[in-house]
Amino acid sequence: MSRPAGPVRLARLHFKLGALNELQYRINFWVQLFNSALNLGTGLIAIAVVYNQTATLGGWTSSQLLAVLGVHVLIGGFLKTFVVPNMWVLIQDVQEGTLDYTLTRPADSQLIVSVRQINIWSLIDVVLGVGVVAWALDEMQTGLSAGGLLAFAVTLVCGAAIVYAIWITAVTIAFKAVDVGDLMQILNGVYEAGRWPVSIYPLWLRGSLTVIIPLAFAITVPAEIVTGRVPWWWLVVAVAVAAAALLVSRLIWKRGIRNYSGASA
Amino acid sequence: MTTPRTEFSLVRYYRAGMRLGFQREIQYRIRAFLMLIGFMIEPTIYLVVWTSVADAQGGEIAGLTTGTLAAYYIVWTLVRVYNLGYAPDAWEWRIREGRLNEFLSQPIHPFHRDYTFFAGAKFVWTLAWIPVALFLTIIFDPVFEWAAVNVAGFVVALWGGYTVRFLMLYALGMINFWTTRGSAIFGIFVASELVLSGRLVPLELMPEWVADVAAWLPFKWTFQFPIDTFIGRLAPREILTGIGFQALWSAVLGVIFALVWKRAIRRYGAVGN
Amino acid sequence: MAHPLDSPVVVEALTKTFRVPVREAGLGQSVISLFKREYRDVEAVREIRFDLASGEIVGFLGPNGAGKTTTIKMLTGLLFPTSGSATVLGHQPWRREKELLRRIALVMGQRNNLAWDLPAVDSFELNKAIYGIPDEVYRERKAAYIEVLDVADIATKPVRNLSLGERMKMEIVAALLHGPEILFLDEPTIGLDVTMQRRLRQFILDYNAETGATVLLTSHYMADVSAMVSRVIVIDHGAILYDGPLTGLSDRFSAHKTIRVEAIDLPEDLDRLGRVLERKPARASIEVPREEVSAVAGHLLTVANVTDLAIEETPLEDVIDRVFSKEDEDSDHTQD
Repeated sequence: MSRPAGPVRLARLHFKLGALNELQYRINFWVQLFNSALNLGTGLIAIAVVYNQTATLGGWTSSQLLAVLGVHVLIGGFLKTFVVPNMWVLIQDVQEGTLDYTLTRPADSQLIVSVRQINIWSLIDVVLGVGVVAWALDEMQTGLSAGGLLAFAVTLVCGAAIVYAIWITAVTIAFKAVDVGDLMQILNGVYEAGRWPVSIYPLWLRGSLTVIIPLAFAITVPAEIVTGRVPWWWLVVAVAVAAAALLVSRLIWKRGIRNYSGASA
Repeated sequence: MTTPRTEFSLVRYYRAGMRLGFQREIQYRIRAFLMLIGFMIEPTIYLVVWTSVADAQGGEIAGLTTGTLAAYYIVWTLVRVYNLGYAPDAWEWRIREGRLNEFLSQPIHPFHRDYTFFAGAKFVWTLAWIPVALFLTIIFDPVFEWAAVNVAGFVVALWGGYTVRFLMLYALGMINFWTTRGSAIFGIFVASELVLSGRLVPLELMPEWVADVAAWLPFKWTFQFPIDTFIGRLAPREILTGIGFQALWSAVLGVIFALVWKRAIRRYGAVGN
Repeated sequence: MAHPLDSPVVVEALTKTFRVPVREAGLGQSVISLFKREYRDVEAVREIRFDLASGEIVGFLGPNGAGKTTTIKMLTGLLFPTSGSATVLGHQPWRREKELLRRIALVMGQRNNLAWDLPAVDSFELNKAIYGIPDEVYRERKAAYIEVLDVADIATKPVRNLSLGERMKMEIVAALLHGPEILFLDEPTIGLDVTMQRRLRQFILDYNAETGATVLLTSHYMADVSAMVSRVIVIDHGAILYDGPLTGLSDRFSAHKTIRVEAIDLPEDLDRLGRVLERKPARASIEVPREEVSAVAGHLLTVANVTDLAIEETPLEDVIDRVFSKEDEDSDHTQD
């Protein structure tokens, strides 16, 4: 009798299954590419309209803003590929009472509910995001050192962790009180706030996006690092915030599970 | 058995249909309120960005002060809910679940059912908007040209905008009678609308050619036009012209929809669900 | 063949063929299928003909996929026939003329035409507006139906809070408020408990008696059929197998009858006479081929002190089951 799969192997297995499943529907590739292009297009138009009127926005040049857009699309791709599909399945599970089954499995429940499903074609957004960032760097004509690239990569990973933590915390807390569709829409709306660098926002909004929902560290900070607006050691801050966010999400999850099991016992 | 006497009147139906929509939505008033809060996020972001731009230019861009911008985006939230109609992809669900059969076996066109249902709901949404508007007013300090505001004009423009957008969504929804991949077309629609309707930014801030193109399309008349009538940026003549355009687009879209509907039903009758 | 002039539903050579895409298995085939679609024709309904008399209650029987629902959809204008004709109250249903839709009603079991989040009475008001029911008529009918079905207390509760049976009651009320002349009922009692089924059946029977409305009813439940209909149309694989009185169904399809006999001294070897369905010390049921019924009955009367003997048709459920599994066409099961 083999050991139950460790978390990494489990995640890999789920991803492979999910990917194989999705690959059947090739037309979804074209649909997704089209929608991603549209989304990116409107983002570019917005930037163009802004810079039609002004040379800098709160101290940000158009190329720097392009980098923010790139990171936003990239992290958005991560969300749509790995996080959002699982959130939908999780909510469905709770509503239909099948979460119990997941809870009795030998692996960690938070891990399971987070890796079950993927929407592979949304990876297109990740690719597009990387492309836009590269384009921004090209426009700025500043090179990126190996160290800088590494720092950028680390902050991206932290960004992914932060948005994951935000999403799962929100779903765990709010899904019972709020209609599911509305909740996802609100989360999407909040995510849109990350399309612009938070430093241009008024204090109350900037504060909220730094302390309460740390979107600033997920999107603005990686963009600032890759464009050289802040020194590399900011990545330490990003790592710290990511760790804190994951910890909070874990605590909330555990609490949520206790309430859930308590309710059905 | 004799044919039963019928006292059908469309006016009566519209009253009953709107009442039903209202009753249903008022049940979920908390949810409606949360929806309005959700709708607050997008315009707040735009407002903050454009205010930033305006501040950098000395407080005004293209003739729009920060106060006017604030007013614009606050009313934006109200117009946003008046723009809601029966979503195109909901047709796919309706067909698949057999709900369309129930509608088709009754002597009233589904258009009237859906239009009145959403219309009734809007009264609830308007009420839910008021606290949101007050909150935003406190934070953003908008400037309204109260002297120039024409209440009657605004109300007509609001409902005219609803009618035009409802028809656009409804006509788009017909795609679902032929394919389940309608979301791609809807994607183009939403993206174009975002840019050409005044939703992203007042059209004055767009390059001139964009504003010119937008004048020929229905989007502007569903969104920017009603907002402008509220915040007092339009002369009475301009308001009348705008309402005229709304009527024109309603007629055009209505005809397009009627033609497509005929074919859609023919197809539905041939292949079932 | 002449049709009675006042026949509310006339169906002639009605055919419906669907073109169904052929799905291939395997990845390679799926790719090819993106470019070249193959179709095959499925005949859901094949040249059926029947007509209903005014005020008749007709049961439309058939297994799943037999073509019942397709036929009903064609009669209510939801589908176009591939060929043939159907006339309902003088109209072609698929033209969906308002004058026709105001005079018919379609009720599908487990479907929901009422607004989900609101009390049923609110949906009644909407129906009043849809059909243009005059105020007086509406008030009277609503009060009468609510009283007969005893739903006054649940009529004001949101529909989503009602049980399936309560919901079906409200659906039927809503469907009959405009006084339709023809009722199309598609599995109306499915999923309901026995009491509820009986209630609904009685309601429909009363409506038919009072208004003379014509009823076409599809159902899986024999109880529905035997309690309500006088005439049965059996359909399978798109073709009509039988159209006639209920009583004739067994004659046509069952090659057997059941003999129930009560006697204290029944012989041991009953299984020589036929298929023994039930055997108790003083009672037995034996299934016997029709031709041998009198012989077997006579034999039993001579070999035992029979206190009661009855000759029954095979239960309808069994008849229908066998029709659709084509088991009982002309076989002779004397021994198992």
